[in-house]
Amino acid sequence: MEPNSSIPPPVMGAAVAYPPAAGAAYSAGPYAHAHAALGALYPPPPAPGPPSSHQGGAAAAQLQLFWAEQYREIEATTDFKNHNLPLARIKKIMKADEDVRMIAAEAPVVFARACEMFILELTHRGWAHAEENKRRTLQKSDIAAAVARTEVFDFLVDIVPRDEPRDADPAAAAMGAAAPGIPQHPAAADPTTMGYYYVQPQ
Amino acid sequence: MKNRKGYGHQGHLLSPVGSPLSDNESGAAAAAGGGGCGSSVGYCGGGGGESPAKEQDRFLPIANVSRIMKRSLPANAKISKEAKETVQECVSEFISFVTGEASDKCQREKRKTINGDDLLWAMTTLGFEAYVAPLKSYLNRYREAEGEKAAVLGGGARHGEGGGAADDAGPLAAGGGAGDGVDRAGHDDDAHVGLMMGASSVGFGSGGGAAPSYYAAASRKAYGAGEGSKVMEFEGEEENGGVQRGRGFASHLHGAVQW
Repeated sequence: MEPNSSIPPPVMGAAVAYPPAAGAAYSAGPYAHAHAALGALYPPPPAPGPPSSHQGGAAAAQLQLFWAEQYREIEATTDFKNHNLPLARIKKIMKADEDVRMIAAEAPVVFARACEMFILELTHRGWAHAEENKRRTLQKSDIAAAVARTEVFDFLVDIVPRDEPRDADPAAAAMGAAAPGIPQHPAAADPTTMGYYYVQPQ
Repeated sequence: MKNRKGYGHQGHLLSPVGSPLSDNESGAAAAAGGGGCGSSVGYCGGGGGESPAKEQDRFLPIANVSRIMKRSLPANAKISKEAKETVQECVSEFISFVTGEASDKCQREKRKTINGDDLLWAMTTLGFEAYVAPLKSYLNRYREAEGEKAAVLGGGARHGEGGGAADDAGPLAAGGGAGDGVDRAGHDDDAHVGLMMGASSVGFGSGGGAAPSYYAAASRKAYGAGEGSKVMEFEGEEENGGVQRGRGFASHLHGAVQW
């Protein structure tokens, strides 16, 4: 996943080929609404500089490669008993909420997969921060930086405080850099790329 | 609103529900540490095992989390223990965050059971729409697999036993797998019950030591190869008889298999 792939069309082609039925549901499903919502949430930025657009493009390409790989792995799944995460533990965490009454058997199965994606994305974004600091060891501060830079991870700000003594300044600098009107979501930063990504499966 | 909801769930996580059978949890930890058996950990967890450090129950196992993290990093990258623990906490918060949103939706619609579609809807609402398309494909294939199991209800024992054999990576794992296979014959409609009963089987094996668990698992698989009714009969025998009696019976069957 780490080496940059500069050929987006084949990646998207691969993504389309694997789940045909899911592709149909994909186009007809909630993504149309989600796409509109994203458009509303992230208006196109006013002429970003070349470095930003390049970095956004690279990030978008990596994301596409990531999702293509997810589709490939899901197609390869034939045994739903062996998960990389224990279903009973997931159910226990769900049950910690007193409002939760009954949980269908399929719910922990879905979560096992969703949590894998979540861990992979969070780790991947954290590693980007470690590389910026020329380190080969992923630190807690890298996870904190990934949380600070990504809007969908806002619910984690209480879990990963940014008051690390030495890394506080870089995190603050990153926040400052992200603050002036540029959306933090890399896929939304480039409307053309995002549109291409979502429209291709049709 | 999102942050407030997350904070509330975090409060909930601070008071986990305890349960007996702490030995199972220790056994599960040992098995996971030694052979890295994810399924073994899952089955043992189903029994509600409790280790002295109760806080560990509100997180996913750090070994599993660490293994998944490595998949998105270069081969020569290292991960600090603090980073692993932080991601552990983040994943639990993610589960609580999505579950809370799905639970609210179920209450508004006067439904009591959270299903897979509710989770996918919640993820879309909370900004994780990128996860939904792969998960929808995954959920559909899972439902197809479950449908196939229900269709061959009569052959459930054989199919379940096959699954047990696949899980045979060690005494504890074998016990759990075989138990799950046997229970599936009678409880095809509820996979989770199968998981919990499988954990009970592991508990029995742990009580008798590693060797008896291995024999019991092997004998049970041999029985599974035969007729479903015999599988049920064997299960009844195990439940009614004492530990020694069950062990003797298992050993006898094991000898028969060898001969």
